[in-house]
Amino acid sequence: MSLDTDLKQDDTSGPGVESAAPRGGLRGRFKSLRVVQAPLDAPTWLRWSVFALVIVVAVAIPLNSPTYVNFDLSMVMIYAIVGMGLNLLTGFNGQISLGHSAFFATGAYIAAVLIKDGWQYLLVLPVALVVCFILGYLFGLPALRLRGLQLALVTLALAIITPALIKRLDGITKGQEGINIFLKDPPVWTGLATDQWVYLICLVAVVIAWIVTRRISTGRVGRSLIAIRDNELVSQTLGVRSSRTKTAIFALSAAYAGLAGVLYTYVVQFVGPDSFGIALAIAFISIVVVGGLGTVSGAIFGAFFIQYVPTWTASIGDSAAGFVYGFALVLFMFVMPFGIAGLVRAVLRPLVRRIPGRRSDLTQSAKTG
Amino acid sequence: MQLFLQQLMDGIATGALYGAMALSIVLVYRASGIVNFAQGEMAMFAAFIAWQAYAWGVPLWLAIVIAMIIAFIGGALAERLLIRPFGTEKSGHLPLIIVTLGLMLMLNSGAAWIWGYLTKEVPPVYGSGGLSIAGASISRQGLGIILTVAVGAGLLFFLFQRTKLGLTMRAAASNPESARLSGVPVGRMLLFGWGLAAAVGALVGALVAPQLFLQPNMMASLLLYAFAAATLGGFDSPVGALVGGLVVGVSENLAGTYIPFIGNEFKQAVALVIIMAVLLLKPEGLFGAKTVTRV
Repeated sequence: MSLDTDLKQDDTSGPGVESAAPRGGLRGRFKSLRVVQAPLDAPTWLRWSVFALVIVVAVAIPLNSPTYVNFDLSMVMIYAIVGMGLNLLTGFNGQISLGHSAFFATGAYIAAVLIKDGWQYLLVLPVALVVCFILGYLFGLPALRLRGLQLALVTLALAIITPALIKRLDGITKGQEGINIFLKDPPVWTGLATDQWVYLICLVAVVIAWIVTRRISTGRVGRSLIAIRDNELVSQTLGVRSSRTKTAIFALSAAYAGLAGVLYTYVVQFVGPDSFGIALAIAFISIVVVGGLGTVSGAIFGAFFIQYVPTWTASIGDSAAGFVYGFALVLFMFVMPFGIAGLVRAVLRPLVRRIPGRRSDLTQSAKTG
Repeated sequence: MQLFLQQLMDGIATGALYGAMALSIVLVYRASGIVNFAQGEMAMFAAFIAWQAYAWGVPLWLAIVIAMIIAFIGGALAERLLIRPFGTEKSGHLPLIIVTLGLMLMLNSGAAWIWGYLTKEVPPVYGSGGLSIAGASISRQGLGIILTVAVGAGLLFFLFQRTKLGLTMRAAASNPESARLSGVPVGRMLLFGWGLAAAVGALVGALVAPQLFLQPNMMASLLLYAFAAATLGGFDSPVGALVGGLVVGVSENLAGTYIPFIGNEFKQAVALVIIMAVLLLKPEGLFGAKTVTRV
């Protein structure tokens, strides 16, 4: 019953579900996944304790896990960073980019080349952030004029030529051969092994990315991103400078991808052109789609998905992972277009509603009358 | 001069293929208003079917016809099962882009699953060997490709401009709502458009397989050139697609020969540059109609 009233409220912006207030039962629950799920309105104390709990667990894991677990989880965090940036662009702003593998590759190669040159590896991070932001800005400038399909086309082209470009620039990138790097051992006072140290660097990065993404998406900028997504002309009329916002968010998401690329180099300690092809670009899209378009937490679910699916499917065959990604993209669009985050919200909502102290308890009466 | 002529000739032969592939993209775009990112992989899959039939002893030309028929059915099914359910939604292109990307991945990995990544030898349809025209030599296959594409384009032109079916299809594509009110079975026309596009793609796949060597990733670069061709010609113009294909094929070949930085390896960049330039300077393409946004 509470689910029904819930849906009526959320229905206003749900694409394609006009007056479908489901009847409840299994079918109703199933249908509710196709509706935009508003963020869970958990009380502040609950949010902070969940956040703190996750951090404590995340810090504890590497201290007593085997190397391969740390490696996998570091990759999850890297993908989560890409996913958050891409979700700002695609989920919140409605611009689709199939070319973020190019910015990821840029970050990875900047790290590899500079570390090879003898740079301190942490100094590489700001360089890659700035370079990818600028590249993203320059590439995003056309985003002022391109929309929907055209942007997808251009960015797909970018993803396809990235490996060829890396091979062409073989003077810097060593072409097909790739670059091996070795990270210096972590500072002695930490007493950590390299994989644990790198894991913690990734954790710090993902927490910062999380906070920044949340600040952006729930704030003023986030509202204007959504306004541009939902109706650009109207948002312009209301005073949103849409072209500037679109370019800036494209550049920012490119910087996220660049940052993730640097971390990738730390973790894998090898870069080669064939890791950054179209398959990676579509995997990035899978993060956003499977995790949940327009949610911040979705990137983390999606990152787990693309990191662990290949492991699970390896026993079936080499190409099974690609097949599962493709199938998941289609399936999620059909069954739950708002991804795992949407599912989690739909499942947890009835529980959260019972917790006192939520913000909407105070404002709800004014909003819905 | 002879080098230039040779490159020009090669450019036209590959350009004809880009144009034909672009044509299949344009057919889908006109029918459904979306770019089917899986178009290249559909062609690749069809080429595998043709190869499989050939390997089982079916004559080559018959194998290609069979592959085209299967592709037609597959394309129509894809429209009905994957695309139509999103058709009436106003939520924009995003779900459809993602669905066609998913289809692309599934076909790509599916082909790898069934046939593996090892390249398959496909004999050229028009035999090996070549002939020489004005000092430049052209392979029989190259010449055959140009002729096949020309004949195919002619047939399609005839279909669209001179038959009742073509007229109905154009009506359904240009204004589905009023076409439906006038009694045009719009849904069936969409099915037919997708099927036709897939069949054209299958033909391209079979023709290109001898050069690119048949393997699951064969279409990625071809698709890129086809996108460039369709963008250049205008996404709603079949004639534009063919002209665009020729321009892209020739300019790619010439750039590869005369611009040292690009060379043979990096010709794909030409496609990206063309796409970017056209979208920035003349987004509707050379032959496309300007669209106006109204609220």
